[in-house]
Amino acid sequence: MLRYLAKRGITYVFMIFLTTSAGYFLAVSSLKPALLEQERIPRPTPEQVANSMRLKGLDPDLSPWERYVEWLTAIVTRWDWGRSPNGAFINAEFGERVWISTRLFLAAIILTLVIGVALGVYSAARQYKFQDRVITSYSYLAYIVPAPIAYFLVQLGAININETVGKRIFFVTGISTPGMAAGWAQFVDMLAHYAVPTIAITLVGWGSYQIAQRQYLLDNVNADFVRTARAKGLTRNQAISRHALRVSFIPVAQSIAFTIPAIFAGGFFAEKIFAWPGVGSWSIDAISLQDVNAATATLAYGSVIFAIGAILADFATTLVDPRVRVQ
Amino acid sequence: MSNETTIGPADPSGATAERLHIAGLHSPSDAVLSVRDLYVSFNSENGSVHAVRGVDFDLMPGKTLGIVGESGSGKSVTSLAIMGLLPSTAEISGSVRLKGQELLGLSDKAMCAYRGNDIAMVFQDPLSSLTPVYTVGAQITEALTIHNPGMSKPAKEARAVELLAMVGIPSPKNRLKAFPHEFSGGMRQRVMIAIAIANNPRVLIADEPTTALDVTIQAQVLEVLHTAQEETGAAVVMITHDLGVVAGIADDIMVMYAGKPVETGSVDDIYYNPRMPYTMGLLGAVPRVDVAEKSSLVPIDGIPPNLLHTPTGCSFAPRCPLVTDACLAGEPPLLPADGGAAHKAACIRSEELGGDVNVLEIFSAPPVPVSRFDAVPRGERSTVLELKDVRKHFPLTKGALLKRRIGTVKAVDGLSFDIREGECFSIVGESGSGKTTTLLEIMEFHKDQDGEVVIGGISNKQAVDAKAKGAMRREMQMVFQDPTGALDPRFTVYEVLSEPLQNAGMDKQAIRKRIMELMKLVGLQPDHVNRFPNQFSGGQRQRVGIARALAVNPKLVVLDEPVSALDVSVQAGVINLLDKLRAELGLSYLMVAHDLSVVRHISNRVAVMYLGKIVEIGEVDRVFGNPRHPYTRALLSAIPVPDPQFERTRERIILKGDLPSPLDAPKGCNFATRCPVFAALPAAKQEKCLTLEPPLEAVLPSPAVQALEAGPTAALDQQFACFFPDGELDEDMLVVHETADPHGP
Repeated sequence: MLRYLAKRGITYVFMIFLTTSAGYFLAVSSLKPALLEQERIPRPTPEQVANSMRLKGLDPDLSPWERYVEWLTAIVTRWDWGRSPNGAFINAEFGERVWISTRLFLAAIILTLVIGVALGVYSAARQYKFQDRVITSYSYLAYIVPAPIAYFLVQLGAININETVGKRIFFVTGISTPGMAAGWAQFVDMLAHYAVPTIAITLVGWGSYQIAQRQYLLDNVNADFVRTARAKGLTRNQAISRHALRVSFIPVAQSIAFTIPAIFAGGFFAEKIFAWPGVGSWSIDAISLQDVNAATATLAYGSVIFAIGAILADFATTLVDPRVRVQ
Repeated sequence: MSNETTIGPADPSGATAERLHIAGLHSPSDAVLSVRDLYVSFNSENGSVHAVRGVDFDLMPGKTLGIVGESGSGKSVTSLAIMGLLPSTAEISGSVRLKGQELLGLSDKAMCAYRGNDIAMVFQDPLSSLTPVYTVGAQITEALTIHNPGMSKPAKEARAVELLAMVGIPSPKNRLKAFPHEFSGGMRQRVMIAIAIANNPRVLIADEPTTALDVTIQAQVLEVLHTAQEETGAAVVMITHDLGVVAGIADDIMVMYAGKPVETGSVDDIYYNPRMPYTMGLLGAVPRVDVAEKSSLVPIDGIPPNLLHTPTGCSFAPRCPLVTDACLAGEPPLLPADGGAAHKAACIRSEELGGDVNVLEIFSAPPVPVSRFDAVPRGERSTVLELKDVRKHFPLTKGALLKRRIGTVKAVDGLSFDIREGECFSIVGESGSGKTTTLLEIMEFHKDQDGEVVIGGISNKQAVDAKAKGAMRREMQMVFQDPTGALDPRFTVYEVLSEPLQNAGMDKQAIRKRIMELMKLVGLQPDHVNRFPNQFSGGQRQRVGIARALAVNPKLVVLDEPVSALDVSVQAGVINLLDKLRAELGLSYLMVAHDLSVVRHISNRVAVMYLGKIVEIGEVDRVFGNPRHPYTRALLSAIPVPDPQFERTRERIILKGDLPSPLDAPKGCNFATRCPVFAALPAAKQEKCLTLEPPLEAVLPSPAVQALEAGPTAALDQQFACFFPDGELDEDMLVVHETADPHGP
């Protein structure tokens, strides 16, 4: 198993290298921070701009290949991912932002999965009954409503609660109140900031898992092996929970692992709306600010998260399905 | 004869309790399972489907009841109703008593005390009946845990090992930790049987337990069931559509039709003295592998009735050749047929059917068709297809980026045969023997193929352009196994049939005329051309498939399992049709089939394949009548014959294990690993089998025949590849059931 994972790991490192390099070439040939600098007032001379860019390692006069070699050498030798046109260091900014993103999404992802799968099982067991219809209709609604709108709705809800109570219980934007003393008050403040985005992402996210889990379980409820289990003397519910559930979880496990990167790397709506300065919003900003190094770094991050997701998918599948175990 | 088990006419409602009392709810006290007046209906969008309509039987301890019927006859629903495994939407009435305890109406939970304990079941498809994510050991011990919560872990494991050993799984202790996907189909069915007998059930229900398996594996599994019954003393209900399977093992038979038993009796009564036209038709519809004499099969016209409507008359009346007006007035009850009370038939004319009634006459079976080629010696007929040393090897590779070749699968390994005009040539063998790959190679038409395929005089080596390929394709057409999958559901029959004709460049007028001709040719009504495939029954769809193949007037038709997806009664009609077409149109057939009875019935010549090689080839009566290769002998002995007396006294060769993977094909004779002759050979002779590959050699006539013919004798049309065809068979692989008294009165 370890050898297998190691092998997969090497393959993914190679793939990450390829996508990142390709991304760099695309960014370096299309993003021109020098042009943006030109629009400053007072307008700097082209020489001044080129000089300032050169100092930050973004020399516009070098060919893409030369810049790529320079960029790659810096990463390989010093783990230095370069600088932004505004002078910020990518390493430092990334380090800060990735932590913010992780904090924002980790709890939401776990809640999404647990609630989605649990509701899927619950509704499958009550197929076409009232509870099933309500839950499944909700999931389809969550599917249809664009995520930003759902986030806004949750935000509005939180604001309403605040107003009704007449006290600020939830913070609808930001990560923390500045200048809080460490201790209990800071913890409560953190929770108050966490609650709204976490609830919003979870409410939107679980729908797809609920639908998938319900569908896969229903596919297996009348499977031959469930009938065999009943013929052994298990009741219908026992047979389903012991035999059908695990089999139905195999495809869900795979999809879970592949949606994790999607949430992490594609979370810019949530980050923008709740004003959490994470990686997702950074990637969008990087493009509008013609920031080659930041754009590439976020792309590399996306690839790494995707690889981790894929390895997790393999791992999860191997765990639940003996048929794919490597001998 | 009292009204003990008489069923009233179709009136499931009303005073059930009273009727049950009259009907004799109190079965013979020694019956382990007694079913009375069982009715099952399902609600569908179109109304109530009456799936089972009044089933009664008593099952004595240790006895075997065979329930025989076609798909939709209600036999599986009956078994599921007994087990309490029907969906909750099913409406069930009547009585099912296990050792006197009523089972119907028990809750799912209460029923669990009996299921898997006193009454157990083996299902049809072993591939999907085991949970893929648990080990075999866990699934067996689960059955033990449910009913013996106090049993210790080592005791359960010991019992599981014992069970696996009982059903013949080698090194059972190690196999406990294996997952279902690591077992072959036959092995999985053994595991299913082990699970079923884990708690020594009193009743074991087997629902088509061998339908999905190869014949050699079927023989093994039937043997395991026999052992299981002997070990546990359980009474067995064997559900099957194959009259051969139950002939040897059942004590009593119940024939079901349209949800109702139409004839019940001892196995001998049913097979030798059937009194219901449906039973007679069924028996006449199956070809026999042990009979050389050729007669047409009994075709039963029409299809089983729609169970949405309760029939007002005899449900078989629309298909019955003996129907009279009286048959349409009320469903006939199951009444004693002749003297003995045990034999009952639901036919008002059963008295007339005793004795020596000729089934072929009753059902007006067509005469045996005679082809104009039959009189011409084989050597003088032209060759329509010839294969010379055709090979198909698949490389087995490992690694994702850099592929290493770690082995070769020799799917087809040096095949040579020819088909002459007007003959039917069949290839038989287990799944995995290379039959389908052979067909695919013939249809390939590629010059880079390994070996030569000559179709109608054109070799694949010349098939360089589309024109040559088109010419080859016109010579040869194909009929597929699954008629439903092979017809585009959005094409009307007219469109299906006109497509090949348009391809051949025919004009509209001619196409229309040809299609009408084709419809008549295959026995379909010409005015049905505008219907879609789903408006036809399975047998009719296969006829459409045949018509499509014949559209362009091919010389050779390739039949890939043409009747295996059809019910017995329908199958006979299609076989008769194929036979007729061969004679009338002078067609040649290349057929691939696993049913050796069908092969013997329809073929002139046959090749037996094993692991990509032909092990025996020749005229069908010679190969089947006097098989020389041990594999052919084993294959033939595995085919059940619908003749109880023959089956009971028959000596069988039960091969050990499954077809080995073609990857580890041995160096010498492929069959050595399973060969009953090889196993009995002294080591010195075994060496020869292991190192040398036996070539195909012709059989010479026996000295006695040579003397009779008093002249130069040519070799017979039979070749086989074995060094020791006359070797003794290994005794471990021979089985005879000596059941002197198969059943009581």
